[in-house]
Amino acid sequence: MSEPANSLLAQGARTRRRRASEARFRACGLAAIGIAALALIVLLTSVISSGVGAFKQTYITLEIALPEAKLDKTGQRDPAQMAKVTTFGYAPLLGDALLAQVDAVGITTPLPTKEIAGMISKEAVATLRDHVLANPGLVGGTVTLDVLADGRIDGYFKGRVTMQSAALDGNTSPEALRVAQALADAGVIETRLNWRFLTAPDASDQRPEAAGLGVAILGSLYMMAVVLVLALPIGVAASIYLEEFAPRNRISDLIEVNISNLAAVPSIVYGILGLAIFINFAGLRQSSPLVGGLVLTLMTLPTIIISTRAALKSVPPSIRDAALGVGASKMQSVFHHILPLAAPGILTGTIIGLAQALGETAPLLLIGMVAFVREYPAAYSDAADLFGEAATALPVQVFNWTQRADPGFAERASGAIITLLIFLAVMNIAAVLLRRRFERRW
Amino acid sequence: MMWVFDTILSLPVLVIGLAVLAMIGAQVRARLAAGGDLRRLAALPRAHAVNAALSVLIPVLACYAALSVARMIGRQQGAQILPDRTLFWAVLAVALIGCIDAILRASARFRARAASEAWIKALLIAASTTAILTTVGIVFSMVFEAANFFGQYGWRDFFLSTEWAPNFRGNSALGILPLLWGTLYVSFIALAFAVPVGLFAAIYLSEYAGPRLRGIAKPLIEILAGIPTIVYGLFALITIGPMLRDYFAQPLGLGDSASSVMTAGLVMGIMLIPFVSSLSDDAMGAVPQAMRDGSSALGATRSETIRQVVLPAALPGIMGAVLLAASRAIGETMIVVLGAGAAARLSLNPFEAMTTITVKIVSQLTGDTDFASPETLVAFALGLTLFTLTLCLNVVALMIVRKYREQYE
Amino acid sequence: MKEASMIQTGQKISARNVQVCYGDSPAIRGVSVDIAPNTVTAFIGPSGCGKSTFLRCLNRMNDTIDICRVSGDIRIDGEDIYDRRVDPVQLRAKVGMVFQKPNPFPKSIFDNVAYGPKIHGLTRSKAELAGVVENALRKAALWDEVKDRLGSAGTALSGGQQQRLCIARAIATSPEVLLMDEPCSALDPIATAQIEELIDDLRQNFCVVIVTHSMQQAARISQKTAFFHLGSLVEYGDTDQIFTAPHDPRTESYITGRIG
Repeated sequence: MSEPANSLLAQGARTRRRRASEARFRACGLAAIGIAALALIVLLTSVISSGVGAFKQTYITLEIALPEAKLDKTGQRDPAQMAKVTTFGYAPLLGDALLAQVDAVGITTPLPTKEIAGMISKEAVATLRDHVLANPGLVGGTVTLDVLADGRIDGYFKGRVTMQSAALDGNTSPEALRVAQALADAGVIETRLNWRFLTAPDASDQRPEAAGLGVAILGSLYMMAVVLVLALPIGVAASIYLEEFAPRNRISDLIEVNISNLAAVPSIVYGILGLAIFINFAGLRQSSPLVGGLVLTLMTLPTIIISTRAALKSVPPSIRDAALGVGASKMQSVFHHILPLAAPGILTGTIIGLAQALGETAPLLLIGMVAFVREYPAAYSDAADLFGEAATALPVQVFNWTQRADPGFAERASGAIITLLIFLAVMNIAAVLLRRRFERRW
Repeated sequence: MMWVFDTILSLPVLVIGLAVLAMIGAQVRARLAAGGDLRRLAALPRAHAVNAALSVLIPVLACYAALSVARMIGRQQGAQILPDRTLFWAVLAVALIGCIDAILRASARFRARAASEAWIKALLIAASTTAILTTVGIVFSMVFEAANFFGQYGWRDFFLSTEWAPNFRGNSALGILPLLWGTLYVSFIALAFAVPVGLFAAIYLSEYAGPRLRGIAKPLIEILAGIPTIVYGLFALITIGPMLRDYFAQPLGLGDSASSVMTAGLVMGIMLIPFVSSLSDDAMGAVPQAMRDGSSALGATRSETIRQVVLPAALPGIMGAVLLAASRAIGETMIVVLGAGAAARLSLNPFEAMTTITVKIVSQLTGDTDFASPETLVAFALGLTLFTLTLCLNVVALMIVRKYREQYE
Repeated sequence: MKEASMIQTGQKISARNVQVCYGDSPAIRGVSVDIAPNTVTAFIGPSGCGKSTFLRCLNRMNDTIDICRVSGDIRIDGEDIYDRRVDPVQLRAKVGMVFQKPNPFPKSIFDNVAYGPKIHGLTRSKAELAGVVENALRKAALWDEVKDRLGSAGTALSGGQQQRLCIARAIATSPEVLLMDEPCSALDPIATAQIEELIDDLRQNFCVVIVTHSMQQAARISQKTAFFHLGSLVEYGDTDQIFTAPHDPRTESYITGRIG
């Protein structure tokens, strides 16, 4: 059947070309979404795969002899006297214990004694000493203790260190790994879940296996507390004024542009502000959660104000009119009617603001939170007032660990990121659920 | 009584005590004036109590804040003014005056509710000034130290020199140009990646995708915006950097550094995708459906409609989105600290390590800092430059977005 | 081709048993109608009766709505426009449409009118394009008003001018059918009068189908009128007959103002 020249049933050449270009354009759009999704997946898998090891840790089970002659020469078990024996006094005990284990399992190795002892983490000595000082009765007998294995041995059992890489590494050797494998086969060395990662404080450069997030998590919690206590009331109060009371004029216009701009000011600038105003001018302490919290408060305020204003705006004017109509004052209509109705929106915005603050790093570097902190900060102390003691924060701890030479810290940094992302995911999911639960259509 | 002075902490207890006293006093006086019939009062006794508490607490807060700032300024000038004891008595006096005044004012005709609302309004206004104070604080914190810096180091050398070589023994070369170049180069690569991807993603989401795909893809892309920059930094450091070095830079003979402009730029580009896409999505969503109908009724395909009608109409909004993304890129810190490197360099090779303004702000202000040396103070001049740059971008972007929003409302 | 032979020759558009559903709810229930060339056909009926929906079936504008399903048979010049081989893009070049609210693109007057010819590649040179634009603007009775400012924004015109611009835009692709969906409902009486006059002129070159809310308008400008009610075509015939001697009591109630 032949069709007329301008039949609709035949697709003209030009139309075919246009359809092809349509398909290309559409494919570009789909590809863009694919790229974004792929980036997200690669990002998450790369961080998670390199960080999941931090949640596992290799331990060596040792039976350690505690000779009285070395640890408590007076024999009186007086803690003050015993404390005079430093970690140097304890170190040989661990080495001997491991040697004994190696012999007991029946491993023969050309490895010198020092390198065998080197399979134990340098942190283990302090663990042992603390344990003995806490239980002076143990001296004179033997104690069975799980001690941390060295970072390289730990890395071997997590696949980070291989025989090839060990051959090039001055801190370990393929032979040491072989011995470690034999010990693991005998059940002396074991890799298991590592809760210490979430509770222990940071450790020094040589001991990635001992480093934990405890201090950082606590520091972050302190800062979040400061942000919540300051940013929420100030943000809500400011939004109420701007949305409900402020006259519409150039000044309120200026404030509006100002707030939008503040939301887009680079975070590092807030760090400079914190350094100059809170530390140099107001004389608050460097590295303290208080200063960190104040800086993050100022950063979070625009977010909270913008979302609170949106929440207030979404309450229909009829509610205001109804309240005013029964003789309530403007202030009463706001606090009794509008604010409760806007509360879910405000809360959602606040949680999202807090999540942003929790992940913020750059400004905290400038106010000295990058310092190496081994002690848990107290919420209050006489010397440092409220939240004044040096602390660090989760994201800063990540940065700190990326700057260290030992590759064991890369794993720790990724592990810390996983922890941070879990916190953020929980907060964001809470915000989403809150919005779903209380979403209101007027 | 000397224990009172032992710690400044006893001050809050005293003030709160006075506030409670004022509340009780004002309420009792109001009730007495009512003589058993509350209808004779201009305000409920509860309103009297609230007003009394506020008349104590708000002046105390204001007084304490003012004196503390005065004290800090004094310390800045090297003088120890207003010792704790003075502060204590001054604040206590204010609290006492407020307390007595509130109690005396309580009468049958006193409109306590209006008075307390005036106090609350004052608080609200004070809260909204924090936004302005923050901006003022940002400007002041940088202007003074930057001026200090330019006193020691010529502004011409700073803005026009192509060499950056700080030396803590003095005689540093502190030219901003290599840093500015690094900043702009990284931002350019980031935008060159993020703008097409973000824009096409927005086009697909707003014009093609059904509700199901949109419901999945949009939040997925927005997750990228919620990931902290330190995570992107680590991603650049442990994944993208080594990958680019091993598969591109080294085979092509372009360098063997894992941290490079390309590394930082690409990762930053990923971070910026949601900024571009969600604002562009909004902008295209604001284009009336009637425009699309008009175009497709003329026989335009969807892509023709998008390219020739929707995009031109949404252009201002998209421009705003791009400018805001550019401002983000210029001010981004952690990705470049971990991904771009620390060497100040003027080079065209994107696989070479370069550095940015933000990286140098961090490196000059962390560690041992001496606030008298130009090597430290230069950070404030850098900060001021950065702030000015981003401020201009933000304001222009916000103006465009705002004006555009009005157009279709 | 059995069905095609059933369709009367000489008709521009033939629809048989057209049904439209939005999701589960039916909007059009079995409408059959034949529309002649070079006439103005008016669709009238109370709001929600399906007249606009039916109109949008004629150039497949309903395709842009995901949940909309069309069944039945619609032919233009004997060709099934819902055939798998028909590209709606080509169809819409042949069946132009003017909307309720004027919707000029945010472009210049010239570019608004040139848009259709450009995307369909109807012209080979700039001069030819300018000729097409001028011709379309003349046919839409807008040329004299805008010939000196073809470069200014289409959105800057008055409402009536904008609507005539939209008509010119539709004419510029030289369609054979012009669909108009309440083209005057957003305009003032003077602009409405101008458009009505224009529609009457357009009849010489096009087959015009117009949906209107106003019975007076239908009576003034159309030769054929179809009355829709609750998704069905109640009555279709010469305009004079519909307005003076309706066969169906529902039509009578509507034109006398008792329903609607």
